[in-house]
Amino acid sequence: MVEVSVTKKYGERTVLDVDKLRFERGKVYAVMGSNGSGKSTFAGILAGVLKGDGEIIYDGKKPETGYMPQKSFAFDMSLTANMLLGQPLRGRKAIRDKARRLLADFGLGEMSKKNAKKLSGGETQKLALARLMMEEHELLILDEPTAAMDVNAVEKAEKFLKDYFVRSRPAIVIVTHSPAQARRLADEVIFLDEGRVEEKGSVAEAFGNPRSDKLKKFLSVNG
Amino acid sequence: MWSNVTAAFEKAFALMGEGNTLLNEIVATTMEMSVQSSLYAMLIGVPIGALVGVARFPGRRIVVLIMRTLMGLPAVAVGILVYLLFSGTGPFGKLGLMYSVELMVIAQVILITPVVAGFTETAVAPAYDAMRDTAAGMGLNKAKIALLAVNETKYQLVATYLFAFSRSIAEVGAVQIVGGNILHKTRVMTTAIALNYNMGQFSLALALGIILMLIVLGLNVIASALQAGLKKRNG
Repeated sequence: MVEVSVTKKYGERTVLDVDKLRFERGKVYAVMGSNGSGKSTFAGILAGVLKGDGEIIYDGKKPETGYMPQKSFAFDMSLTANMLLGQPLRGRKAIRDKARRLLADFGLGEMSKKNAKKLSGGETQKLALARLMMEEHELLILDEPTAAMDVNAVEKAEKFLKDYFVRSRPAIVIVTHSPAQARRLADEVIFLDEGRVEEKGSVAEAFGNPRSDKLKKFLSVNG
Repeated sequence: MWSNVTAAFEKAFALMGEGNTLLNEIVATTMEMSVQSSLYAMLIGVPIGALVGVARFPGRRIVVLIMRTLMGLPAVAVGILVYLLFSGTGPFGKLGLMYSVELMVIAQVILITPVVAGFTETAVAPAYDAMRDTAAGMGLNKAKIALLAVNETKYQLVATYLFAFSRSIAEVGAVQIVGGNILHKTRVMTTAIALNYNMGQFSLALALGIILMLIVLGLNVIASALQAGLKKRNG
């Protein structure tokens, strides 16, 4: 569905160099790696918010893409207004009901009229995730989507993400530091190191029998 | 010395209390000029500042540098430029705007617009950087993102308007040149203050200055209430 071959340099330093990484609908991909391994750069390029050298090839037309960056942003308006941003049919009852339902799902229902600037970091991530779920995307890119959430919120967010996945069958690319989260959500793992793909394979392969020493070390440290 | 200052305060309150017709006329002309010029400057300056704030293009830094340099435009120089353009022999002389409130507004707009644009750019650029990835990830187009960036800076824009108005109401160099300080026509608070100073009527000049400051204070109180109201409404 999407094939990515890109490099990204900052000055002389190559921060990303990946070749023919393929993402297909109906699969969840976990992108893992240490700090500075190029995960967020990769996610940004795949989402089209960062420029890289190389090419992204699509089977057919460019997929409807949703992207949640590492630093989620809440716009200076009510939570409901945040949810309806970019919705051309925001006046319709069905759309407003969907926004209300998603906010309630994420435990933000009672705050729907509050200004989103008042939210905590974890709540802002919930809002950002709920806001993305207003649309049915074909490719969903989530950069550390639950990093600021507490354990209960992570559990809920992952459940809604799974529901969304079952409903829309998109390709989900989730950048995560957490091997446990990758294990819970993903079908495939891409392990980046210094901008390159150090290992790529199914969750069973990556966690059960990692080939790369760097991945072994990463898993032993991060559990 | 102190007696002059005390007398000025007494005179200021006496003038306001007695409902002096001439004073009311000067205040009305001042408000007409300042409100109009600051609003026009906002209408022109905010979109320019927002556009530069959200656009990323080669040479952007130079544009920002020029914009910030123009914030320091000397009022008298603007007055002379507008005078040359609109005087009888100037390219716009036929419009017959010399020594009119309209021309004073034009001069003020030239003077204040770069300030509004500069302040807007300074506020919008970091707001845009903070929200750009999220907004783009939601599939919003650039125009919508720019509007959202402006929305993020609405409180700063209220402050920008206050600054624009304050600069307009307190400016004397340009309006003196293009307005001519004509009684019953283009006389405003600052030119009246300058005139009274030149005539040696220090207490009256200072009294007018005090009234001017009270007007600005009143506007600030209204703006603060507006900001508080906005914040309350936004939860």
